[in-house]
Amino acid sequence: MKDLKQRGLRIFQWFEKRTGLLKPLEEMARHPTPSSAASWWYVFGSAAMVLLIMQVMTGILLALVYSPSASNAYASLQFINHNLRLGWFLRAMHGWGSDFMIAIVLIHMMQVFLFGAYKYPRELTWIAGVFLLLLTLGMAFTGQVLRFDQDAYWGLGIGASVTSRIPFIGAPMVHLLLGGPIIGGATLSRFFALHVFLIPALLLAFVGLHLLMVLRLGINEWPMPGRLVRKSDYDRNYVALTKSTGVPFVPDAAWKDAVFAAVILLAVMACAFFFGPFGPGGQPDPTIIQTVPRPDFFFLWLYAVLAFLPPEMETPALLIAPVAIVGGLLLLPLIAGEGEKHWSRRPVAVLMVTLIAVTLGTFTHLGLHTPWSPAMDSWSSDPVPASFVEHRTPLERRGALLLQQKQCRNCHSIGGVGGRRGPALDAVATEMTGDQIVRQILQGGGNMPAYGKALSPEETTAITQYLRTLRGPGLRPAADASQGLQPQNASHPVDSTKGASGAP
Amino acid sequence: MSGTTPTTPRIALVLAGCMMLVLAGCRAPGKPGPAEPRPDRVMEFAKLYKQNCAACHGEEGKRGLAVSLSNPVYIAIAGKEAVLNATAKGGPGKLMPAFAKSYGGTLTDAQIEVLADGIVRHWGQPQLLAGKNPPSYAATLAGDAAAGNAAYTAYCTRCHAEEAIDKTHIAGPITDANYLALISDQGLRTAILSGRPEEGMPDWRGIAPRPLTDRQVTDIVAWLASLRKTPASPNTASSKEKSHE
Ligand code: HEC
Ligand code: HEC
Ligand code: HEC
Repeated sequence: MKDLKQRGLRIFQWFEKRTGLLKPLEEMARHPTPSSAASWWYVFGSAAMVLLIMQVMTGILLALVYSPSASNAYASLQFINHNLRLGWFLRAMHGWGSDFMIAIVLIHMMQVFLFGAYKYPRELTWIAGVFLLLLTLGMAFTGQVLRFDQDAYWGLGIGASVTSRIPFIGAPMVHLLLGGPIIGGATLSRFFALHVFLIPALLLAFVGLHLLMVLRLGINEWPMPGRLVRKSDYDRNYVALTKSTGVPFVPDAAWKDAVFAAVILLAVMACAFFFGPFGPGGQPDPTIIQTVPRPDFFFLWLYAVLAFLPPEMETPALLIAPVAIVGGLLLLPLIAGEGEKHWSRRPVAVLMVTLIAVTLGTFTHLGLHTPWSPAMDSWSSDPVPASFVEHRTPLERRGALLLQQKQCRNCHSIGGVGGRRGPALDAVATEMTGDQIVRQILQGGGNMPAYGKALSPEETTAITQYLRTLRGPGLRPAADASQGLQPQNASHPVDSTKGASGAP
Repeated sequence: MSGTTPTTPRIALVLAGCMMLVLAGCRAPGKPGPAEPRPDRVMEFAKLYKQNCAACHGEEGKRGLAVSLSNPVYIAIAGKEAVLNATAKGGPGKLMPAFAKSYGGTLTDAQIEVLADGIVRHWGQPQLLAGKNPPSYAATLAGDAAAGNAAYTAYCTRCHAEEAIDKTHIAGPITDANYLALISDQGLRTAILSGRPEEGMPDWRGIAPRPLTDRQVTDIVAWLASLRKTPASPNTASSKEKSHE
């Protein structure tokens, strides 16, 4: 044992003599931190870095097999999923690692903001951090494109149409990114280059800068209400604080980082194990129209925003909002570089974080749960449940058929099956009169197309007759005999057929 | 605190090790199943039927809103050719869209063939009507509406009048012009010939005391067709350009 230690020491000294790198590294590891900063709140930054390392490692393994060409990408992902031992697990780790990394970076950023850690002298550290966030998001987006399935393909198409609205540089930018005016073979190679060379290089460079500054400037002390940051005396106070309460970073603070990083890695593995890799979904092909593109989790909010924005607001909002948000983040430490650090004395800051978190959360929730894309094949594959068609007259059954044929079911569910873009129609008859139903169908409104031109009077009558029998799950329409008479009784404008029925 | 320092990472290591063992050993829930084929490569009858036809013709071809495709009497009368034709180019009325790519649909010719063949093989009974001499699937004679009116009153009203006599099989009126505008002559003929067994309408043999003849069926259809507002248009009324509002 003793022998081993000595030999280790000798090897250490051999390297140290020649490189002179190890001593400073050791000093760095043992640099004193204010004991208040050895907190569980300070573990997110290092966890993000560990995730980055994991992403780099899994990414390299994936790149060994992945083929970045439009014709082979999809097949190579299938190959990894099905033919490589644990290939699917590798893809799952990389995919879940990406989601975890964004989440941790966001939490880290929020913590730094609430603890006032971006204030003097750590302004540049924050600014580098903002770039790290953008680069991480860039990695997530380009990574999603590399999956090159329908989601990626369509997301890319929508992204391109958004980018193209930027005045002057929009079209050239799309051209540059896609490698042409349309999504094609060149697109994938560009995104591959971005995802494995350019963005990672920038990411690593900024991580280096970020870390360097963290070490140089010391870890932010735990904020105290009333202890203000002033450029004149902050440095002196910080040195005094580390002198009086300082503990070596390794191991006194670092063990918490290590434990947390291990937990996060385990969580990534568990998600990968239980939920598996993302996609690839259907094959990318613009001729396949039976598809509902859906972006990855962290871009869902963006899609929700786009879906809810009135069309005339879209272009200005898309051009101004990103510039304002990124600009605000970058300028923050320069504007508010001094003063109070503690959150209890910074109500505006706390309010802002809450507001942003709630807004993003709400939009993400909407993104997850609002089916703004209709269910494309409900009209031909989801029958109206039997309890909603029993005891109907032939005319009413034709109305139910028309509900399929006119693709109303793609947006409207009955008995829990069908699209959810519009309200369920299970009980429309109890909520609307026949006239109201007719008006809604002919004039549309509220995200429903107007069918006035697309329906003959007979078709409108049949649909309305049928909808008027829908009074809730399993409930039979009012007595069958009276239903048979309704064509004559109905008083709505399109019923132009008095007298013809019941002719025998 | 310091007590946890060495043990926690060790626990993590042990956990990770266990996980790896599990991974190598049993089937992981996250492991992806076989990849979905492109929609135009799907060649299984059941899948194609569910995706494209179940909504109107019913799950398993039963209890649908339109013609019951699993009715062997229908299949025996219509034959594979008619089924294939309707699937590719759309039904006799305009209520059923064309499914073949060449007619603006989404299915390849091979998929249409799988569907037609599947319907006939899964649900048909080859010798069902051998020697029964059913009326032909498509009308060949010219109809006589007056004779049709008489036959209708005699045979159909017991179930299809507003006050039906056969209370167990109340079916609702089919003489309503709105209804007739939404069903084609062939649709009516198909209904009379093959019935709606699940809903209680017998096929052409069970409607009257004796099986209906081709002439009777043709006449009844002619009479029903004469009740339409626009007898000239054989199909749905959407060809009539009427503007609302
Ligand atoms: C693109 C999706 C879409 C399609 C297709 C569609 N609808 Fe709608 N429908 C909606 C939406 C969204 C609403 C809610 C409108 C509102 O909030 O004012 C709605 C509302 C309705 C309502 C009122 C329901 C209520 O409870 O307020 C009726 C009735 C209706 N639709 C019938 C139809 C019929 C019949 C068709 C086919 C001819 C059809 N819809 C096709 C989206 C659609
Ligand atoms: C939108 C509803 C709808 C869908 C979806 C639909 N059909 Fe139809 N189909 C109809 C209607 C309605 C008729 C009857 C036309 C009439 O009555 O005039 C019909 C008629 C037919 C007929 C001819 C019946 C006859 O009279 O000989 C066949 C065969 C048929 N459908 C097969 C299919 C197949 C196979 C599919 C799936 C690929 C399918 N249908 C999908 C509504 C539909
Ligand atoms: C034993 C009772 C009975 C008799 C007799 C009968 N039907 Fe029917 N018919 C039904 C039932 C039940 C239905 C199904 C109604 C429904 O489900 O909407 C039906 C449905 C129909 C349909 C509607 C098909 C559709 O999909 O819309 C037509 C057309 C029809 N019958 C025509 C006739 C004609 C013509 C006759 C006389 C030659 C006749 N029926 C005799 C019971 C009968």
